[in-house]
Amino acid sequence: MSVETGIRFQNIVKAFGPKRVLNGVSFDVHKGEVFFIIGASGVGKSVLIKHLVGLLYPDEGEIWLDGEEISKFDEVRMGPVRKKCAMVFQHSTLFDSMTCAENVALPLRKHKGLTLKESVAEAKRRLHVVHMQEFGDRYPPELGDGMRKRVAIARALTLEPEYVLFDEPTTSLDPVSARRVDKLIRELSDTLGVTSIVVSHDLSSIFTIADRIVMLYKGHVRLLGTRDDFKHTPDGVVNQFINGRAQGPMDL
Amino acid sequence: MATTSPGQASHPADVDPVPEAHAPPGPVAALGGSAIDLFLGGKELLSVFIRTLYYSVRGKREKGAFTTQMYEIGNKSVFFLSITMGFIGMILVYQSGLQAKRVVPDYTMLGATYLELLVRDFAASIGALMLATRVGAGIAAEIGSMVVTEQVDALRMCAADPIDFLIVPRFKASVIMTTVLIVWAGTVAYLTGAATAYVAFDVAPQTFFNMALIDVGDVSVGLAKCLAYGAAIPVVSGYCGLSTFGGSEGVGWATTRAVVNTSLTIIILNFFISTAGFLIFPG
Repeated sequence: MSVETGIRFQNIVKAFGPKRVLNGVSFDVHKGEVFFIIGASGVGKSVLIKHLVGLLYPDEGEIWLDGEEISKFDEVRMGPVRKKCAMVFQHSTLFDSMTCAENVALPLRKHKGLTLKESVAEAKRRLHVVHMQEFGDRYPPELGDGMRKRVAIARALTLEPEYVLFDEPTTSLDPVSARRVDKLIRELSDTLGVTSIVVSHDLSSIFTIADRIVMLYKGHVRLLGTRDDFKHTPDGVVNQFINGRAQGPMDL
Repeated sequence: MATTSPGQASHPADVDPVPEAHAPPGPVAALGGSAIDLFLGGKELLSVFIRTLYYSVRGKREKGAFTTQMYEIGNKSVFFLSITMGFIGMILVYQSGLQAKRVVPDYTMLGATYLELLVRDFAASIGALMLATRVGAGIAAEIGSMVVTEQVDALRMCAADPIDFLIVPRFKASVIMTTVLIVWAGTVAYLTGAATAYVAFDVAPQTFFNMALIDVGDVSVGLAKCLAYGAAIPVVSGYCGLSTFGGSEGVGWATTRAVVNTSLTIIILNFFISTAGFLIFPG
């Protein structure tokens, strides 16, 4: 079966002061797949995906999105990239002073120039997709973590992106809410053809919904493959991580 | 574009990717590094100021943001500023009276001289320094918290420029409310000064309330300072907030830097505006 590459990271290097977090990371993400980036805390998973939407810029390397090199785009040229690639942040990052509907409406107002009334009406329809239509007029602090996460996903989907970046979407959620978010991510890919890049260490999510997985370790790609490739790898570091063992060859 | 085959890995065994050991910099390198940091910081601050001016004219207005900030910056500072400026007014007149008593024991011009100093300098500069501690710290802490919780990144993803969305409403509100607050605080300081002069030196209010020394130059310089300080407080503290890094410790540092840098900016602006004032209005 032929696959089309949507995103390519090529020799990405990123340092913060003397600390080199990413040291030549390269891999491709295929269109329509659910792609997981895994690795220990602080290995640079979130840092890597932020490069794709211009929230960070690489020191070296190239990032290709649909055949276009975007790693040197300025804030203005990043606008269309951010419409195409939405991001769901780790802590939902909803604005507490706005209702859920107004939060979801913000990208419509800013990217598409809709009025507040038009955008809120559209936002309420978007909330329906994540089963949060009843909470449009509520403020984020009144909701639980799982509900806030779903509103954040609705906000990310508002502009009908082709790619959605999820930064630890199930962290701090109860198991039921976490599985609901997993289901939503899978549905996005299966029904709408959205490509999802998920940063996670939730083993349950990884081995339930991932099409392909990449593991980062010490600034490099340690292993790139399918769920089966990960389950059957002889690599001790990968084995220790995916089995969640305290003892092993991993150097943390 | 080619695709990557499953299982492809690019790891070179378990080599630590941070090989270089960094020796601590010598004194010259440290001084040079600080100078470069200062230059880059100044350049970024200027960029924030220019973008703030641009979005103040061309940006989209957020419903309610301006009035909310007017209330936060203005109304909520009235009590604090009235108390501090009231006490400062009493101290200034008492100390001036004691000094005057030693040189020329004549209090007829005490009120007029004090009013000139208030209008030309003290009301704006001391009032703005007080505001920098309350308003500047608040702006830096709020924006800094938004940075560390990725809310500023979320704004950028929504195509909302953080300067337009966060700093511009505070900038407009601060320019107006700083001016209003300083006029109010100056009045409070003048009245408490008059009361002190009456109680401590037996200067009648009719003698103290003397506007003979006030001219256009004093009012112009005082007003220019109000506007400049009102613009500087949100821009400098907003810049400190936006350049926050790290977690809660970073927010703490951003808040400290905001108060220090805003105070420093007010004192430097005071020097330049006062100098320009003396050159333009020499009388």
